[in-house]
Order: sequence, then C-alpha cells, then structure tokens
Amino acid sequence: MPTSNCSTRSASGLALRAVADTLPLCIAVIPWGILTGALAIQIGMSPLQAQLMSLLVFAGAAQLSGMTLIASAAPLGAIFASTFVISSRHLLYSVVFRQHVTQLSRSLKVIMAFILTDEMFAVSEAHTKRSGQFSALFALVSGFSFYVIWNVATLIGILIGDTFKDLDSLGLDFAIAATFIAMTFGELRRFPVFIAVLASGCLSVLLKPIFTDSYIVIAALAGMLAAYVLGQEGET
Amino acid sequence: MWWAITGMALITFFNRYAFFADFVRYSPGAKVKRFLSYSSYAVLTAIWAPIVFSVDTQTGFTHAGADYLIGVSVAAALSLLRVPSIVVVLTSAAVFFGIRFVI
Repeated sequence: MPTSNCSTRSASGLALRAVADTLPLCIAVIPWGILTGALAIQIGMSPLQAQLMSLLVFAGAAQLSGMTLIASAAPLGAIFASTFVISSRHLLYSVVFRQHVTQLSRSLKVIMAFILTDEMFAVSEAHTKRSGQFSALFALVSGFSFYVIWNVATLIGILIGDTFKDLDSLGLDFAIAATFIAMTFGELRRFPVFIAVLASGCLSVLLKPIFTDSYIVIAALAGMLAAYVLGQEGET
Repeated sequence: MWWAITGMALITFFNRYAFFADFVRYSPGAKVKRFLSYSSYAVLTAIWAPIVFSVDTQTGFTHAGADYLIGVSVAAALSLLRVPSIVVVLTSAAVFFGIRFVI
C-alpha cells in the first residue's frame, strides 16, 4: 500500500515539524511553568490543585494573575473578571480558527479549543501561511507538545515549592521576549506587519500601568487596526 | 479554591471555544480576515514589549537593563536575517545570560 505508507510518512513528518516549530516556545515557557507551580504552592494550594490549575486552565498569564488575586483574598468575581479580560485575546484566535475547524467533529473542536494558546496559534498560523493550507494535525500536535511541557514544568515547580522564591528575578522572562521576537520579526519587511508590531508594542508599554489586565488586548486591537488602515497600500 | 479553579477553567475555555460553536453563525469576510491576519504579530508584540520597555513618570520611556536591550537586539537582528527560531532563542539567551551573570 504505497499510498498509505506515503500518507503515514507525510503525517509523521508533519507531526515532527509541528514539534520542531513549537520547541523554541516550549523552552521559553519552562521557567514560567516552574514559577506557576512554585507560586501555587507558596500561596497555599495543594499539589493536586496546583497541577489541576495548569491541566484545566492552561493559560499562563491568567493563572499567575488569578493566583496573585487568590493570595490577596480577592473575591471570586474579581478573579473571574481578571481571567476573562486577560484571556479575551483567545476570542481573536477563536474567530481566526473558526474557518479552519468548521469541518471538524465537535469533539475535535473541543480539543482544538482547549489547547488553543498564543504559542499554538502563532506556530499554526505561520505553518498555514507557509504551506498554503491549515493542518488540524499540525495544530493539535503543536498544542499538545506545549500542553505537556507546560504541565511538566508546573510539576517541577510544585516539587520545588518554596525553594526558589526569587525565580522571577533571574531574568527568565527574557526567553519569552526572544521567542516572540523570533516569531514576528521575520515578517517585519511586510509594511502592515511592521505597523502592527510598532503600534502594538508602543501602546502596550504605554497602557500597561493604566490597564494592568487588559493592556494586551487593547494594544493588540489598536495595532491590528493601524496595520489594516495604514497597510492597505502595501498589501495585495 | 476549587471554585476559583473551576471558574477560571470554564472562562478560559469559553474564550477559546466561543467562535467554534455550531450555533455561532458569524463568518468573517475578506476585510475582517485581513484585519485578523495581523493578530498574532500584534498580540505577541504586546506581550513581549513591556517585558523589556516601560514608562516612568520621571524619565519617560525606560528599559529593563542593558542585558535585555542587547539580548533583544541580537534576537531582532537574527530574526530579520530569517535565522531559525530555535537558533535565535538560544543565541540571544546565551548573550543575555552571559552579560547578566558572567560579565
């Protein structure tokens, strides 16, 4: 069955490519996963609760913010509002992915949504652009690779617990910055992308002190709008 | 604590699944698709930029330190040259941590 062998090979090749493309992001997020696990223990969560947070919520920024609020004994409403605002950028990803997932079964849609992160979205969109078509297999493998690494890193943090209280002062956030630059600057020669990066970057820095939970979404939407309006001439 | 975890899990899932649901009929047109095509660039930049840069009421724009500036400059230069992402991350991280902890 040469055709079957060929498609199996191409599927495994695609899966390997998805893992390879997601690898830099996995490396960058390990310190944050460890920090998330350690912080959960430090604020009084049980190891099971700490791990379930990463297994079920699976959203780094929302988890860190939520745990900070839990530690300060904030009401549930404040925790939920913060979670919604911080993770509302996923609504954008959901709109973009909608066209790709309409043909999938409901269970696959649920799985795809569950593992839809900044990282999976960016890697998958880059692959779609490169290959000319969306691959559900690529997106699922990318998302699951990230899910596994995030949860293993959280587990390490849970085991470390109180040992590394100054983990966030080591400059580990640099890896996040380097990874996201690597994922965006390759396309900076396209004028609208340049505008999107410039506008959202400047606005996020300016807005962060004012809108601590929502600055990412506001700056990103403004950057997208600027790219849409100013970039019309340059795009075909 | 359990309510917080359950609620947060439902909220993050809702935001991710919202437009996948069959009863949502919205389908973006060409203009909206072009607008949305910039989303990953805009969101990723909005996440990383405040790690390196910030605003100060006294001095205006400021940065997290020379190690961050040099590190992101290396990452930016290599990315513009279309060097593979893993090489960009490892090289710029080596430069960053080299400056931070060795020099």
